[in-house]
Amino acid sequence: MNRPAFSVDRLLNTSAAWLLALLWFLPLCYAVWTAFHPAAFEAHFVLTAPLTLENFEEAWAAAPFARYFFNTFLLVTLILICQFVLCTLAAYAFVRFDFPGRTILFTLVLLQLLVMPDILMVENYKTMRLLDLVDTIPAIALPYIASGFGIFLLRQTFMTIPKELDEAARIEGASFMGVLSKVYIPLAKPTYLAYGLVSVSHHWNNFLWPLIVTNSEDTRPVTVGLSIFSAIDSGVEWSVINAATLMTSGPLLIGFLLFQRQFVQSFMRAGIK
Amino acid sequence: MLKSTLMKAVATTALCFSTWASAQAVDLQFYFPVAVGGKAADTIQELTSEYAAAHPDVNIDAVYTGSYQDTVAKVITASRGGNPPQLSVILSTDTFTLIDEDLVVPFDDYLTSEEDKKWLDGFYPAFMENSQTGGKTYGIPFQRSTPVMYWNKEAFKEAGLDPEVAPQTWDEMVEFGKKLTKKDDSGNVTQWGVRIPSSGFPYWLFQGLAIENGAILANSDGNKTNFDDPKVVEALEFMVDLSTKYEVMAPGIIEWGSTPKAFFERESAIVWTSTGNLTNMRDNAPFDFGVAMFPEKIQRGAPTGGGNFYLLKGASEEQTQAAVEFVKWITAPQQSMKWTKATGYVAPRPETWETAEMKEYAAGFPQVLVARDQLEFAKAELSTYQNQRVTSLLNDALAAAITGKSDAATALEKAQADADAILSEYR
Repeated sequence: MNRPAFSVDRLLNTSAAWLLALLWFLPLCYAVWTAFHPAAFEAHFVLTAPLTLENFEEAWAAAPFARYFFNTFLLVTLILICQFVLCTLAAYAFVRFDFPGRTILFTLVLLQLLVMPDILMVENYKTMRLLDLVDTIPAIALPYIASGFGIFLLRQTFMTIPKELDEAARIEGASFMGVLSKVYIPLAKPTYLAYGLVSVSHHWNNFLWPLIVTNSEDTRPVTVGLSIFSAIDSGVEWSVINAATLMTSGPLLIGFLLFQRQFVQSFMRAGIK
Repeated sequence: MLKSTLMKAVATTALCFSTWASAQAVDLQFYFPVAVGGKAADTIQELTSEYAAAHPDVNIDAVYTGSYQDTVAKVITASRGGNPPQLSVILSTDTFTLIDEDLVVPFDDYLTSEEDKKWLDGFYPAFMENSQTGGKTYGIPFQRSTPVMYWNKEAFKEAGLDPEVAPQTWDEMVEFGKKLTKKDDSGNVTQWGVRIPSSGFPYWLFQGLAIENGAILANSDGNKTNFDDPKVVEALEFMVDLSTKYEVMAPGIIEWGSTPKAFFERESAIVWTSTGNLTNMRDNAPFDFGVAMFPEKIQRGAPTGGGNFYLLKGASEEQTQAAVEFVKWITAPQQSMKWTKATGYVAPRPETWETAEMKEYAAGFPQVLVARDQLEFAKAELSTYQNQRVTSLLNDALAAAITGKSDAATALEKAQADADAILSEYR
């Protein structure tokens, strides 16, 4: 008796999902279309339009992208590794050790989430100059590695891990570091995966701070190369811009598609949306 | 024995000399934004390495710094962080901001000889309006432009107009526009007569209309605006009327970035946009097109635009001196010509246009001369203290009038009142 109602409901749900997916997908479709066709077909959607890779060639030649990709790769790897190490240790300390001022310290860490990194740009620049790091990749990474978000996230995850497991490991003679590496870290894997994705994509796309703190080709990431196409004075060349955009976001897109299942699952478990 | 001693002495002297020379070499860092497509960044790098090759006593490092806005952010951050570049290209309209932030030094202290003063007088006065204030020169024009009107000759022919003649007055523009606006059978417009883009920074092209109507938007001290001047109101009413009353321009906010595309696709027969588009137009327009000065109301007029060289505080005496020498070199005819050809920016010194090579270039592509000739009527681009805030007040007023949320007079009066509140402390 309820079946028809149920299938109408299902139909609505499915079509709404499709509609949203399509809306989300449209800009990407347009980017793919313009990137693979000559500029004359930017606004003409003819199936027989000639395919070309010229836009990619032009985009690739406009800036030293090979070097920029290498720099970005170094940058996101450096940030990710440092964040994992720092945030894990900090979160572990907040969860398992009782020390005076713990709550205040944790509140301070949380406060970091409320401060826009852009406000600190000048102060960060001064610090980098003091450390003589201006125009290096560590200078781009340093302000981000003590991530309040990462500490908070890992702390919440570690808190859900039953204390019994910890105690059992302790009784077996594991040291503090042993407990961390054998009990906490393996159980928090989904959180690491989810946080890693957020961190990598954020720093892959970061533009202003890297632009400000670096000066030379040897240290700049892909976003700086991409910015060369946002030339407002002379009109927008969609085909080349989209080719460049696809090119620079390609590795992330492919990575996401490959590991999609793991990401979705870990997001559900880690509770990030 | 004697010979080898001599050789040693020579070698030592040579060594001393070379270390002395490199110890004396001046390090210069120079930030530059890129606002046009094509090979602008490559041309700058090429020019600086050419300079470095000819001047071994100067190490010059040209740093690409994104858009104009990114460049200002970087200059301010680096200066506050105690690491400013010695030289930077920044929007000419940011002069007051840079003075207010106490980041720049005027060129005058380094241009003391008669010859230097003559050199300073060798720039187009229209470009210097945005570069000088309070009797001091803070900017040297470099990547400067001015907006012009492009028209589609084929569309003119189809509409029964003389394809070689652009509208000369506002009335003609409306009259031509009516003939050029085409509708299909169901009444949808397939080709608009006129397109004056109004997204992002509508104040720039609007300023052209205001100047043509005899209004000046801001004084040269940068502390007083005239947004509620009746002539400004009239100019805005005209801009709105183009869509609502005369129906020759698309209603609502018109996108700046897609304007060349709309021109190529014949969506608009006449478009107003920067000379920075000239090379793009020449390479991609599928029809014959003309370039003309803006039409006049009571006079011709257009704003200038683009970036100047600025000297940043915090450099040593030698560095600033070297920076000034570099600026002199890069604005000289030979270099300026290369830059103009690569980008479409207007060479800022008349002498560049007098060179045989430039004349030959202009003969083959006479459209480049229009922007230069318009300079005679051009005025300073709107620039005040707290420039971004004041300009966005005007932008908001223009958007309100264009979208019909408010009438021109009310919107501009409000913008003027808000601008007064910001600028009163600078008077």
